[in-house]
Amino acid sequence: MQFAIDTRGTFTDLVVKDTSGFCRMFKSSTTPADPISGVLNVLEVAAAEYGMTREAFLSKGRLLVHGTTHALNAIVTSRTAKTAFITTKGHGDMLVLREGGRTDPFNFDHPNPEPYIPRALTFEVTERMLPDGSVMLPLDEEELAGIAAALKQLRVEAVAVCLLWSIVNPDHERRIGTLLATHLPGIPVTLSHELNPIIREFRRASSAAIDASLKPMMGIYMSNLEARLRGAGFPGRVLVITSQGGVIDAKDAATAPIHIVNSGPSMAPMAGRHFAAIDEDSTTAIVADTGGTTYDVSLVRKGHVPIIRETWIGAPHRGTMIGFPWVDVKSVGAGGGSIAWVDSGGLLHVGPQSAGSVPGPVAYGKGGVEPTVTDASLVLGHLDGDSFLGGAMKLDRTLAEAAIRTRVAEPLGISVEAAADAILAVVTENMVQAINTITVNQGIDPKDAVLIGGGGGAGLNSVRIAKRLGCRTLLIPAVGAALSAAGAMMSGLKAHYQAAAFAATDRFDFDRLSDVLNGLAERCRVFAAESGAGAESVEISYTADARYSTQVWEIEVPLRSGRILTPADLCAFIDDFHETHQELFNFSDPSSPIEIVGWRAQVHCRFKDTGGIDLARSDEEEIAASTRRSFFAQKGWCDVPVHNFEALAVNEFITGPLIVESPFTTVVIEPGVAVARRPSGSLSINMAVAQ
Amino acid sequence: MTQHNSRKPAVDGVQLAILAHRLEGVTRKMANTLLRTARSGVINIARDFSCCIVTAGAELLVANEGLPIHVLAGPDIMARVMKEYSPVLKRGDAFLNNSPYHGCSHAADHTLLVPVIDDEGNHRFTVLAKAHQADIGNSIATTYHGAARDVYEEGALIFPSVKVQENYETNQDFVRMCRMRIRVPDQWWGDFLAMVASARIGEREIIALAEEVGWDTLENFSATWLDYSEKRMMEAITAMPGGRMTRTSTHDRFPGTPEEGIPVTVDVSLDPSEARIAVDLSRNPDCLPCGLNLSEACARTAAMVGIFNSIDHRVPKNAGSCRRIDVSLRENCVVGIPRHPTSTSVATTNVADRVANAVQAAIAEIADGAGMAECGAVIAPAGGVISGVDSAGKEFVNQIFLGETGGAAAPRADAWLIIGHVGGAGMCNLDSVELDEMRQPLRVFSRKLVSDTEGAGRFRGAPSMSVEFGPVGCDMQVAYVSDGTMNAARGVRGGGAGGKADQFRVRRDGTLQRLDACAQVTIHEGERLLSISCGGGGYGNPVEREAETVARDVAEKWISAERARDVYRVALTEDGSLDRDETVKLRHAER
Repeated sequence: MQFAIDTRGTFTDLVVKDTSGFCRMFKSSTTPADPISGVLNVLEVAAAEYGMTREAFLSKGRLLVHGTTHALNAIVTSRTAKTAFITTKGHGDMLVLREGGRTDPFNFDHPNPEPYIPRALTFEVTERMLPDGSVMLPLDEEELAGIAAALKQLRVEAVAVCLLWSIVNPDHERRIGTLLATHLPGIPVTLSHELNPIIREFRRASSAAIDASLKPMMGIYMSNLEARLRGAGFPGRVLVITSQGGVIDAKDAATAPIHIVNSGPSMAPMAGRHFAAIDEDSTTAIVADTGGTTYDVSLVRKGHVPIIRETWIGAPHRGTMIGFPWVDVKSVGAGGGSIAWVDSGGLLHVGPQSAGSVPGPVAYGKGGVEPTVTDASLVLGHLDGDSFLGGAMKLDRTLAEAAIRTRVAEPLGISVEAAADAILAVVTENMVQAINTITVNQGIDPKDAVLIGGGGGAGLNSVRIAKRLGCRTLLIPAVGAALSAAGAMMSGLKAHYQAAAFAATDRFDFDRLSDVLNGLAERCRVFAAESGAGAESVEISYTADARYSTQVWEIEVPLRSGRILTPADLCAFIDDFHETHQELFNFSDPSSPIEIVGWRAQVHCRFKDTGGIDLARSDEEEIAASTRRSFFAQKGWCDVPVHNFEALAVNEFITGPLIVESPFTTVVIEPGVAVARRPSGSLSINMAVAQ
Repeated sequence: MTQHNSRKPAVDGVQLAILAHRLEGVTRKMANTLLRTARSGVINIARDFSCCIVTAGAELLVANEGLPIHVLAGPDIMARVMKEYSPVLKRGDAFLNNSPYHGCSHAADHTLLVPVIDDEGNHRFTVLAKAHQADIGNSIATTYHGAARDVYEEGALIFPSVKVQENYETNQDFVRMCRMRIRVPDQWWGDFLAMVASARIGEREIIALAEEVGWDTLENFSATWLDYSEKRMMEAITAMPGGRMTRTSTHDRFPGTPEEGIPVTVDVSLDPSEARIAVDLSRNPDCLPCGLNLSEACARTAAMVGIFNSIDHRVPKNAGSCRRIDVSLRENCVVGIPRHPTSTSVATTNVADRVANAVQAAIAEIADGAGMAECGAVIAPAGGVISGVDSAGKEFVNQIFLGETGGAAAPRADAWLIIGHVGGAGMCNLDSVELDEMRQPLRVFSRKLVSDTEGAGRFRGAPSMSVEFGPVGCDMQVAYVSDGTMNAARGVRGGGAGGKADQFRVRRDGTLQRLDACAQVTIHEGERLLSISCGGGGYGNPVEREAETVARDVAEKWISAERARDVYRVALTEDGSLDRDETVKLRHAER
């Protein structure tokens, strides 16, 4: 058996692939104080369903893949280790200055963000490397010994080191690493050139600082996780999801925790890619994961999940830039809990405030007074107050209606149902703008993409989003409510390596770059031989971060053969660059030389059974399809059929208005839109059928 | 507002919200394209560009989140000028305007205007992409020619709304002219392509939106949106106390200015009963024989920046909210409407910043809890234009952004450190040392904040930043226009002034030579330039700053223990923690 467990804000999701090859999905509450308890609890829930004790159930496990927000939460709540920062003399304010930049230009209510490591714990050391790797100033080892003594006195728990140009000549950083190991035994150290060899010192420094600050706690978390799983009877391998959409061994996550900061969300596009391919034969998808308070959007472009480096935790420029590549996921504060309000000028807003889970939407009856998106869906009859989440929670429609009446309908001078419909329209637009931001950056026309709706709340307005974007098909996978866990189930072991060697196409040094690429290839082969031993297939792919001469923002271009040995190879790369630039930005400049600042290799080891995911189904008969009184702007109030998600006929389209429901989700199919179930169990929703 | 009230409100609060989001989305798309594809550091790192949509009637409707000094006024004038000179606009046309006499901010800001034309040939909207160029063919290698006596000495090619595209094809005559005059022609051409891509995306998106909702709905939306914005502005002003205040902020003495520099006086009146804010700039000196004069666009915008920095930041910024603002300008005034051939080479920063700073400081003095202190002045050498010929014989010209702080304290928060200048609002990115050293024959020896240079206050201003840099393997010209070596950024409501700017040549033997504040200097190989930026002013009396926060400021080395005691009246114990009793005594003595 294999287990994929994704610990999220509210629920811990589990997908189990049993010996029959079929999968089942389970959920249990997350336990923030001790997330590992939540992991064990959800395994207990599943064991019961399989009619086994947890120990017996776990003893059959071969592989457990875990996604965790533990590292992310520690950063957001500033509960990381006391960490010091050592850098080149004259540049101690690197983490304070960041890269400048600001948003919301007329809003001065936010002070400058604090540096990730305080100035009081920042130390400058005399040394300086030059861009060509030569030494301008040798490392002052005596001064460093003094710094080490100070760190000891300050009881620093971790150290990050980032020196200028360590990516070209790492001697000084390495030497500092060695000296610190001597002076401060047992204190974890992160060297920037080892962790994240990219140009732009702030990003490298920030990655190193974050990584070092997480090491003590993530080391403990990972060893506890393994120990407690062993204690509970699990004999298999424990893997952790990385921000780049791969998995690594838990012990590797402990030694470089920056890899797992965005552990969960990175897997949604992996699942999306799978379902877009098997259900709709498409290689381009927009993957949306709807939570109660956030809406995460990621992409699949030509079968490839784009990676970015502009990675912020929190608001851009006000939050923390991690400077480390991860799957391009754009999050906006929009979801079922988003609050609808009308401003003094008569304009309707939805969010960014959220009612969260406490007090939650007005309909929860827990004291919320501000109407939310969930309240709107309830008032429109799209949700049923008695069968919400399989009846796990009762919703009070009268309360929701009253709140929408007084806070939205009356101020706007419209009916309650028109107001509820407007709330959905505005939240839809907020989500669409989030999608547009990411599709524009990645050069995708939504009209060519399948929209994948993940997360429990996806069904309520995904049809509207798809229509607004012009997508022809919306897909709601049967495992959509646990999309990231499903993605983890089908992911192989992955490692990423990078080198920051500068090259320009008008003066390309074939020998030097061949060495660089060979070096990356070698590291991939070592990984495959060690961590990837026993894999069914090993695939190594290469990309370059390149730009036109004097541009500053690089784009990622695949290296077709993984090498540039001859002028013909170079020409092929140049063609690919122009083509990619054209795709992303609608123009290219064939007369311009191209600069490459970074080279990346990814090694992907696939094991048996990590290919697909097939949900175990009951293939229930339609139990006397019920109806529900619902409102649609095009039709007004009408009685619409409610279908059981698992009972829909395969590949036989039926046309809305209708509602499809499962214990995990409710999907609203608007008038004129058609839905069928695919053999995989996904709902395929076709926007164009009406024509 | 009255002229629009008679119109039938065909757009309700729901559609208003949705279309506003969508048009903001269009400007974001435009901006993103420009940012990510431009070739010059001044655009792609420093974000010195803006994108906006104006109505067919030439009213600013929506702008991207860009540099404030770029957009509030000017796009409207340029759109009007385009219609005047080219009464028949066709789909596929594009116009270039960088003329400060025709609505552009200054000659360095090339602005591409694309009229959005419906299928029947009617002009519906105009989209603008404006970007500061690396070079514009000035007589010296800088786009900020502070000493230029007139536009002829300034030397840029001026395009007063010149058609550069027809049928989506670029006029190659114009391209050849630019290539002969602009120092880095390939870089300019790359930036031009990026601007075209940006404006055309805006055009395409608006046409697509109109196909969906109809042109009339879009135009009704525009009118309703401007009315809505005006209403929000009225509410914001009504919530403030009324009053009048005159405040002067003086630009340093530069070549071509009087001995006392340029005192910029603003008369601000806040009238909640009428919901209007007025700024009178007319009581100021005549235009000067130098590049510091403001264009009309910058004079208006600078006053508006001071206002919008001072009030509820959620009010949309467009022609609607600006209806509640009266800016009085006069012709041939240094902060007014310049006549050709007055030079306005430096119009977006130095004197414009003095206007904006004086306005926001005046509002702070009228109302506690509103306005802001003064931001630091610019442009220090670390933000200057460097040029030369590298050791391989290749010419280079680029504006660098190594660091200017200047952030002013606000009524509810300490300063944002790297604001650059008040008109830039901190939107500019900061250069990476490694990237700069890779792209230019340049070495950055140090870059750090200077303790005890913050404008002290209940909320504190930014400290100065000191940057030491020099050429590698060649000589390097550095052009800059560093205001603030004489007149620091002042605080408000009892807040202190920020540190002053300064600049020195560090000779090979390590000795310092002070440099002129407005100059193009040659730094020889082996020499360095030490550039110190202005700090920002403080808000409120420093003795009102929370004592615990002051102790933290000391621990974090923003200020020294001596300054904590002398200025903030906070005493610390040996181990750096707060000495409460002593602090109470010190602060009591202060009263």
